[in-house]
Formats: sequence, structure tokens, C-alpha cells
Amino acid sequence: MLWSDAAAPVQRRLMRDGLVSFLHLLRRLLARRGAALSLAFLALVALVAAIADFLPLDPLTQSVADALMPPSAESWFGTDELGRDILARVVYGARTSLVTALGAVCIAALVGVPIGLVAGFYGDWRDSLLMRCIDVLLALPNILFAMALIAVLGRSQGAALIAVGIAGIPGFARIARAQVMARRQLDFVMAVRSFGGGPGYIMFRTLLPNIMSPLVVQAIVLASIAILLEAALAFLGVGVPPPTPSWGEMLRTGKSYLYEAPSYAVLPGLVLTLTILSLDTIGRALTALLDHDEAATPGETAGDRR
Amino acid sequence: MTTLSRRHFCMTGLALAAAAPLAAALPAAAQQLKGGTLRVAVLSELANYDPQQLSTVNFHVIKNLYDSLIEYTPEGKPEPSLATEWAIAPDKSSVTLKLRDGVTFHSGTPFKADSVLATLQKGADPKRGKNVFSTMSVVKDWSAPDERTVTINFKAPVPDRQILDLLQFLIPIDPKGIDTVETVPAGTGPYTLVNRAVGQSLTLKANPKYWREKQPIAQDLVFTVFSEDAAATAALESGAVDIVYNGSSRSAVRLKAAGYQVFAGPGQLVQVFRINSTRGPFRNKSFRQAFNYLMDRAAILRVGYAGMGQVVALPWAPASPAFDAAYTKTYAFDPDKAKKLIAASGLSADEVKGWKLLVNGSDEPSVAISQILQGSLAKAGIPIELDMRQGAEYVTALLGGDFAATFGAVGNVQKFPSRVATNSIYRTSQNPVLKDPHPHPDYVAAIARVDGAAGGEAEVKATYDNLNRVLVDEAFAIATNSYDVGLIVASQKIGGVTLDIDNLFVARTIGFK
Repeated sequence: MLWSDAAAPVQRRLMRDGLVSFLHLLRRLLARRGAALSLAFLALVALVAAIADFLPLDPLTQSVADALMPPSAESWFGTDELGRDILARVVYGARTSLVTALGAVCIAALVGVPIGLVAGFYGDWRDSLLMRCIDVLLALPNILFAMALIAVLGRSQGAALIAVGIAGIPGFARIARAQVMARRQLDFVMAVRSFGGGPGYIMFRTLLPNIMSPLVVQAIVLASIAILLEAALAFLGVGVPPPTPSWGEMLRTGKSYLYEAPSYAVLPGLVLTLTILSLDTIGRALTALLDHDEAATPGETAGDRR
Repeated sequence: MTTLSRRHFCMTGLALAAAAPLAAALPAAAQQLKGGTLRVAVLSELANYDPQQLSTVNFHVIKNLYDSLIEYTPEGKPEPSLATEWAIAPDKSSVTLKLRDGVTFHSGTPFKADSVLATLQKGADPKRGKNVFSTMSVVKDWSAPDERTVTINFKAPVPDRQILDLLQFLIPIDPKGIDTVETVPAGTGPYTLVNRAVGQSLTLKANPKYWREKQPIAQDLVFTVFSEDAAATAALESGAVDIVYNGSSRSAVRLKAAGYQVFAGPGQLVQVFRINSTRGPFRNKSFRQAFNYLMDRAAILRVGYAGMGQVVALPWAPASPAFDAAYTKTYAFDPDKAKKLIAASGLSADEVKGWKLLVNGSDEPSVAISQILQGSLAKAGIPIELDMRQGAEYVTALLGGDFAATFGAVGNVQKFPSRVATNSIYRTSQNPVLKDPHPHPDYVAAIARVDGAAGGEAEVKATYDNLNRVLVDEAFAIATNSYDVGLIVASQKIGGVTLDIDNLFVARTIGFK
């Protein structure tokens, strides 16, 4: 019998346990009022961003005669300096922000997690080499690094996404490495190893599912950082180019009209703040739940939970 | 007790009545304004102290550290300054200046003919002449018969207005400091340099040997550099500064409504849609001409400049002798006419949209008006993208001609019409955008005709009309609106503001009420 055949039931059990754990975690998360409200708000933002094309909203059509109108029944958030509907631009701006956040999290996770897995699993020169590279990335302020990258790649949503994603790599790498180092000598890993599991199998099929919880928390934290960073880049004038709606770009332009049309900057700013606040609330709640679990079951690993 | 006779009383009354207009004609500063420390907020750090580099970032210092040979009133009337007299030869091939006596540079060097010669030499040097160089193209040579007289000879007869513009543009520099003028000011101006904290502030103090009587009024002049217009206006409203110079039109409109004084000089800029007619669809004249009708000038003026300025279809401010309001009506926003011209161009749908609009991302009005044009083009069936670049990156592309089309303001639009050729897109030779040979020979010829029109008023007017006609026909630069640069917004306690023909900041007459 091949070692992988012998390990398959163990893996299936681990995956099933992981799904059960996730649903259990979600239920406990929803039991917290703040986290539930945050989830609901984020779901609403994500939903309107996803179905924006089917809503009666046009973020691009100009009507200079109707510029800088205050909120009204026709235009709930008012209009901008070119007479465009601010609500429409907020909705489409959510799409820009969420796509950037999602893409950045994917890039950071896809690069950072394998780096952390390899560094933590081997712990030898590979650890030293990879973590020094991560240290170099960490030494660069995110915003400066992102601006430098955009200067090279040009101003576009893709460039912003890549810049924010690369800035998030160190977070994933360090968390993955720390988690792997704490688990690599535990019994369930030794069991897979004794069945003949190779390093790749152990890292990606055995250890990775067991460190998903802190990585999910990190993904949520990075999503909020990514949205904020994308808005900051747009605010500094190096984000997504107009006329593509972007929350940061709206803040940047809106600040010039604070006296004439305060709602122009305030309302997109409020949506941005609530989005960041929601992600942070969920991240904090998840951390608290996971910390509570670890405190309640000392010596037990995520994979050992029954 | 002394009593006045009726005759004596009447004579005294008449004398007072006669003196009243004279008193009123004197600068308000001399009458009632007090000195002190004048605090001015500016929105850009100066590039250097060279008065021949007449760029906007240097506007707040030039007329405070230097004096020009002659000055213009805001209405364009020439007045003596360092030159007390000027005599244009009957054949208009030379001008002779008499220089003011008793003037010294800040270093203590007496102002004499040698400084004017050194200044002319610098201006005629392509490497050192900066903005003055192009205006020196009409000058053949110069001489100084004595210490107080300078004669400038021209290559050909030159119109009076062009000669006066040259004299107004020439700012004598101390010969001892002419090689280091970029870092150390070397003028005769009303203020001398005390201290400069780069990126933060510039402090000047009154020149005790200044030649204009009772000027400057304020003993100290402190410029504080603000990076944000909102921060500068907040400083004015909080009383931290007395004046905001060169702030945005939008802030000026708001502050005027709040009771602040707003002064706009005659030296407006004109926003111009610059077309690189050596690239892509812009080689096609009919396609370029469509842009005459694609500019929603009213929207551009309103959104970009808070309505302060005037819509124009030619690169002249209303104060220019070549200004012609009829063109604004003829070339009003008309997408249908634009579509017809685009159709007449014979270009395919793919050909007309294969370009990007370069945008100065650091300039909010440029971002807004570029989006307005983008919207107009979309309506005309030409979807384009904006190529946003910041600061130096944009300037490099603009001056290097590395663009298909972009908005960029031009200056000197209130002076002699051929001065427009000092702006990069309008240069007749060594044009950094259109290159040599110039792709629009009719335009080059029209400028040459303007320069050569030294005859009567009708002849001069005919050359202006010809130039205007050629400009809209060749359509490599589409003017959209004039707007104010160097706006002065002052608190109510400030008086004596003098407007400069180029909108430079003149502090010497400003004091506190």
C-alpha cells in the first residue's frame, strides 16, 4: 500500500473537521452583535458592488449643470463637481476597493504562505534566506513601496493591486512560519511522516489546513489594510485613474469642495470608514474566539480538535 | 486770535480743492497705511532667484527683489522704472534708454549701463537667457554711449508694443552677481533677502536704500510655503497670514463671499488643449479642427476655475490687442459639427480612438477639465483613456513633447501677440512638441507677419486677424478659457495692493490700514 493511500482517510477526516470547525466558528462569530453587524454591512457592500450593473446607477455620465448638488431624493448622496451621482460612484468604487482587496489578499497569500511554510518547515538556511528577504520587504514602508512600484508599472488598478499585494506578503509569511514551527514536531505531523509523506505533502496537505484559522484572520486584516492602502494611493493621486470610481479618489477630489458640498467627501469617507471598521471588528472577534479556543484546550492543536 | 479774510479763506479753499485729486492720486500707502511684518502664504517653493526665469513658482519674489527697466500699468500703459526715458527711433530699428540716477544694487554697486549690458548679454545667451531668450530674437546688438544711456538695435523694424514688452521684460541684474543669480539675488528691488528655509519660508526685509520714496511700506516680508490650498486659506482665516498669493480660484470665490479682498490682475493665463500634430490621427487637419467644437468651454471654466475667467477660442486674454470675441461664438461647443468634421476626416473608428490624453495629476483643474473632454469625446464616439502623471513626470512629458494631447496653460497672452511663441506648443522653431521643420508653415508665416508689421494700425490689425484665422484653421492648440493666476486674497486690514501686468506679487506698496 502506498503511503498516500494510507494517509487518505486521515486527510479526509482532517478536511471534514476543518469544514465543521469553520461553520462552528461562523456560528459563534454571528453570536457576537458587533461581528454580526459588520458581516451584514460587508455583505451588503459586496452585494451591491456585485450587482451594480443591474442597478439604475450610472457613475460616469456627466451633467455639469447639476454639479455639487446636495443629497436629494433623486441623488441620495448628492452629485460631484461634474454632476455625476456620488452614490453610483460609491457603489462602483466599492467594486474597485473590493477587487483590489481580494486581489491583494490572493497575491499576498499565494506568495507569502508558501514562503512561510518552507521557512518554518525546514528551519535551516532556507529559513534564514527567506526570512531575510521578508525582513527587507518589511523594512520598506508599505505606502512608499506601493508608490515606487506604481511609478514603474504605471497608474492602473492592476498596478495598485500588485503593489498592495506585495506589501502584504510579509504578514502571511511570518504567520505561516510561526504556526508551522509550532506544529512541525507534533504527533499528527509525525504520523504523516511515518506513513512516508514527503515535505510537500506535509506542508500543503497536512500543516496548511491546520493553520488556516490564523491565516483567515490575517486575510481579513490584510483586506482592510489593502482597502485603506488603495484609498491612500488614490488620495495621493497615484491610484486608479479617473474616471474609474474609487473611494480614495473621491476623498481626494471631495476635500476641495468641503465648503460647497461637504457630503461629497464625507459620505464616501463614511462608507470607507465603516468598511474598514467592519473588517477590523470581524478580525478582532475571530482573534478573540481563536485565542479563547487555544486557552481552553492547552496543548491541543487545531488538527487535534474533535 | 487770528481770523481769515474772506479772500484768504477762498484761496485756501481753492488750494485744498486743487490738492485733493493730487492727494488721491498718491499711493494709498503713503497716505494712511502702516508698516510692519507682512505675512504671505504661497503655494509653491521658488525655483531660484533668476529674474529671467519668469515661471509661476518665482512670481512672488521677482518684483520684490528686482526692478524692471519700465513697467506697465494694469491697463498696459508703459511707465518709467529703472529707465526714466526711452526713445524709439523713427524707423523702429532701435530704442535708446536713459537710466535712473542714484540707484544701487543690494550689494552697494551703483546701477549703471554696464548692468543693463550684462543683462542683455545673459538674455541673449541660449543657455542662460531662460524665458527672456526668445524675446531677444529681434535684437541685433546693443551699446552704451555713456553710463546713463543704452541703445538697443534691432535686426529689422519692430512694432512699438514689442519693443516696450522687451523693456518691461528686462530686469537689470548686478554684474557682480550675475553668475550666481540663481542662488543669490542680485537686484535693486525694494526688499533684500534675509533668510530662506527651503520648502518652508522666505524672509525679506526692506531695502533701506530703495529709490522709490516712502516704499516699501512693510519693513518685513515673510513668505510661508503651503502645500495645500485649503491649508493656506485656513491660515488666512485664522489670522496666521495676511495674504494668500496664487491660491485657487475656487477658494478666492469662497473667501470673497466671506468678506476677504480679492485682487485679480490683468496677466491671465489661457488654458490650451495642446495637440501633437505629428502623431496618429492628429496628423489629420479635419480631425484636429473637430476639437474646436468639442470643447465645452463654459463647463471647463465653471468646473476648473469656479467661473473666474472668460471662455476664449484663441490664446489671448481679453487685454491682448489680438483678442477677438467673435471667435468664441463661432467655435462654441457643438458636438454635431465636431462629428461632421470627424466623419470628413476619413479616419476609421479605430484610428480616431488610438490615443491617450496626458493629464497633470497634480493639478486638480486639469484633472477635472480632462474628464469633461473625455465625456465630450465619448459622446462623439471616441472613447479615450487618461494618462495621469504627477509633477515632474508630467512636466517632462509636456516639455519633451511626449504626448498625443494634453491641457496646458500658456502665458504672456496679454502682451504683444507674437509673445505667444514663447510657449512650447507655439514655438515657431525648435518646437519640442512639433519638432523641425515646423509642420504648420502657415502659422510660422503668420507670426512672422505680426513681428514685421511696423506700419499703421490697419496693417497691424490685419496681421492679427490673419494669425487668428490660421490658429483655428491649423488647430494644433485649442484655447478654452482664460483664468487668473497670481490671485491675491487679503484680509480687510491690508491696503495698497498694486496689480502687475504679469500678475507678479508687488509688496512694496502694501501696508496695514
